[in-house]
Amino acid sequence: MKRELLTGLVQLAVTVAVVVVVVLLILVPFALSQAEPMAVLSGFLLGPFSSLRHVGNIAEVATPIVLTGLAATVIFRSGLFNLGMEGSFFLGGLSATAAALLLPLPDFAAPLLAVTAGAVVGSLACVIPGYLRLRYDAPEMVTSLVLNYAILFAGVFVLNYFLRDPAAGALLSYKLPADARLERLLAGTRLNSGAIIAVVACIAGGIWLYRTRSGLNLRIIGLSRGFSDHLGLPFTRLVMSAQLAGGLIAGMAGAIEVLGLYPRFSWTQLPGLGWTGIIVAILARENPFLIIPAALFLGYLQVGADFLSRGIGIPVEVAGVVTAAIMLAMTATAIFQHPSLLRLIRNLRQKEALAP
Amino acid sequence: MNPFVDAIFDPALFATLLRVMTPLLLAALGVMISDRAGVLNIGMEGMMLVGALTGVLVSAWSGSAWFGLFGAIAVCGAIGCLFAVVVNNLGAHLIITGIALNVAAAAGTTLGLFFATGDKGMSGALKSGVLPNVKLPGIDAIPVLGTILSGHHILTYVALIAVPLVSMMMARTPFGLHIRAVGVDPKSAATAGIPVARVQMTALALSGICGGLAGAYLSMGYVSWFAQDMTAGRGFIAIAIEVMGMGTAWGALAASVVIAIAETLAITMQSLGLPNELMQMIPYVVPIVVLTFWSSRKLRLAKLAA
Repeated sequence: MKRELLTGLVQLAVTVAVVVVVVLLILVPFALSQAEPMAVLSGFLLGPFSSLRHVGNIAEVATPIVLTGLAATVIFRSGLFNLGMEGSFFLGGLSATAAALLLPLPDFAAPLLAVTAGAVVGSLACVIPGYLRLRYDAPEMVTSLVLNYAILFAGVFVLNYFLRDPAAGALLSYKLPADARLERLLAGTRLNSGAIIAVVACIAGGIWLYRTRSGLNLRIIGLSRGFSDHLGLPFTRLVMSAQLAGGLIAGMAGAIEVLGLYPRFSWTQLPGLGWTGIIVAILARENPFLIIPAALFLGYLQVGADFLSRGIGIPVEVAGVVTAAIMLAMTATAIFQHPSLLRLIRNLRQKEALAP
Repeated sequence: MNPFVDAIFDPALFATLLRVMTPLLLAALGVMISDRAGVLNIGMEGMMLVGALTGVLVSAWSGSAWFGLFGAIAVCGAIGCLFAVVVNNLGAHLIITGIALNVAAAAGTTLGLFFATGDKGMSGALKSGVLPNVKLPGIDAIPVLGTILSGHHILTYVALIAVPLVSMMMARTPFGLHIRAVGVDPKSAATAGIPVARVQMTALALSGICGGLAGAYLSMGYVSWFAQDMTAGRGFIAIAIEVMGMGTAWGALAASVVIAIAETLAITMQSLGLPNELMQMIPYVVPIVVLTFWSSRKLRLAKLAA
């Protein structure tokens, strides 16, 4: 037990060190190119902690990407490179809006039913590429990439022809009924009950993946198809249920995002939080328990960028560049499987084994 | 003649077809070269965005659209080299690197546009150049054929000429052989003395050059400005086209013609009053249908052979 903890700590330390170096490598030259370098650095790095409201903002930004990160984790663990999370997220938000506006939902259960509708319809974006892969051997990565855009335009069509509020001016849906919206947790922020769902989902996902038989089976299938076939595991059924689970989670994330944050549905572009989910999953090493800190960290970067954009007028996209660099560094085997690091870990384990 | 036949022989429709096909074909060729070298360039979408922005910025600063084009090619080629370094020397995951490139390009081009113009959405304030259309001497004078074949954008001709060139390079040159060998099995290629990392870097640089051309076409031909996320998933369609074209240059041409026909039909039907958004879906749905159909056929044939 102890040696596991120790090696885990070494890996965590390396991860944190790499992230810090990457953030500084990008931020410092960027800050120096601006008029007030110190203001940029301190605004970005310290701004998010300057008040309780900003800390609440971090949690608010982290909520959807915890869920899309969990969706990406479940799907990647099955061994398919299905990138439908982005489409599921969009479709989930749209379908929850449609359910809240068009269906006669009973008041007390409206949020629950709308989120369920979002999850179920949203899951299609992950289920279809998965099904086409398993049934017809169509490459899931390519089909999921283009399907995301097909879904986007279908969604804008539905928004424009069925949900659009003609009085709103821009392309916006009707106002979401107050009963269907999620409850706010912290005054002054948009932190809502979706955050609780996200945390519970992550813990449940972690327990499922590491403590149940079907979770173990899924991990085996993702690691080695051949071995799983030798064990006689039902490949198609398990992989398909992983796509379904991932799609449901990503769809739910979209529904929670819309019902929790916005008075109306307004997405006419892919919101990009499905992609961020992939980054979260990679940062968390596809471990559901680590998703929450990973998402909080990306949320922190986002809030820092927001802080900059409000204070100094630098666009929030700074966060995007930093996140992309972190994404690269996290998969760099030259760092994380460097011989000296592996040797260090092995030595730690051996010392532990020699001790009485 | 009936209106349908008229429409088909309408030179304007053919011109639209070439207009929508050019960026897809250029990008698909780039994806193809990288894929055959075993380093599939998922970052094509991002490269196109960077190419489009670089073209606009450089041409606005230098006052020449040609400098813009060369800037786009140079920057995207350099990104291709960087891609190769990250994948081969840092050992980063190939697909993740591509996705990261897309994320970084979407954010980075917005930042770049903001610092150049003070606007996050569009480069309308910049006076950027447009690459010219070319009248083919001789062919131009022929009555009907001339209007169909001549007078298109220069990069359209570049794309069309690139197809036989790339095909020849892949099939007939030692370098093309190296690319294919590395793509099939890098270890055997290395044993045979082929410098795997260098071949992959060159392939990704070529892929980047194609991406730069495609991007430059979008912002200096298709339209005359840069807008945030103006590629709108064309880089991903290019990947689908490459897979549909089964990894050959001529296949990529055929597949991009299919997608371009779908998109042209969509544009034409919009003018007939059909919902614009549903028509926009078509070029994204066609690859899914075609890929599914072909994969299932391949699967069936494999089963028959077994």
